[in-house]
Amino acid sequence: MYIIEVCSGVCKKAVINQVEPIDFATLTKSRYFFTWKLLRQTATIYKLQIDGNDDILGVMALVDHPAEKRIEIKLIANSRENQGKFKQYDRIAGCLIAFACRLSADKYSEGACVSLVPKTTLVNHYKQKYHMIYGGWQLYLESDALQMIIKKYVA
Amino acid sequence: MNYKRLYKKLLKEHGPEELVNGFVFPVKLTAKQQKEAAEQLAAARKKTQAEMTEETKNSLRLYHLRFRIEDYLDSKEGFNPEFTFGFFLKRYVELLEKKRKDFAEEISIDETLLSQLINNHRMPPDYITIRLEIHSNNIIPATYWIRLVEKQRLHEISTNEELRKKEKKFVTAMITEKQLA
Repeated sequence: MYIIEVCSGVCKKAVINQVEPIDFATLTKSRYFFTWKLLRQTATIYKLQIDGNDDILGVMALVDHPAEKRIEIKLIANSRENQGKFKQYDRIAGCLIAFACRLSADKYSEGACVSLVPKTTLVNHYKQKYHMIYGGWQLYLESDALQMIIKKYVA
Repeated sequence: MNYKRLYKKLLKEHGPEELVNGFVFPVKLTAKQQKEAAEQLAAARKKTQAEMTEETKNSLRLYHLRFRIEDYLDSKEGFNPEFTFGFFLKRYVELLEKKRKDFAEEISIDETLLSQLINNHRMPPDYITIRLEIHSNNIIPATYWIRLVEKQRLHEISTNEELRKKEKKFVTAMITEKQLA
């Protein structure tokens, strides 16, 4: 799994791990947009870092629904300097979404599914960028679409 | 700032294309909407699953196995006697729902050799790991199979006291602490 430094085009190995209690002091609203510690009770929170570097570049909150063989993405945010046209690194959110797909495939094999509830304005953009499938209120990745994301970002 | 305002501000600042590169926003649904969302998703997934080809099912099963191997290889825990090359090869054949005879034929080896590999009576030659990589359509690289064998071998060599005793008599001189100092 890698992200790309936009200014140099250099690929950097990315690692994703579960957020540790000590990380919540770093996950400020000013840099990561949301109050992440509020999600601690209801979701599992993951952080993306460059291998060997402590700085957190992206955060994601996931909820597992074992009865439905589905992992739901509740929230994703790249750090402030990785937003917009002038971001430092590209592929951060893609790697986080693909990580959710990896977890789901690891746990649910061919039944794996990843879903999210999108903002209406963003529906088509998620579909285009991440091959997400329309499922009414939710968008989801399953079957070939899920495999495509794994191939693109993980494998 | 509530999240609706934050969303509007960011949408204005970056536009929708850039927002999907950096966010999944929280969306609050009412109880009624949640129920509707669950029903819609279940119906959509039923359709996707019904249309899933055997090829895709097999690929996803192999990704599942690949990630299991990856997790084991990357874990800080040492060798687990359960997770041998043979164990994962057995899982490979089972996940693809193949008879051992048919699978052995598909990678052009004798069924007896396949059984020996599965039962850990033989270590795989390099060509087997390459054939497994090709058979999996590169989903499980040969290096993963090799690393499984290495993990097992490293454990065996570092814990084999009997072999150490046996080989000691063949070493007629050794470097002393004094020489090392």
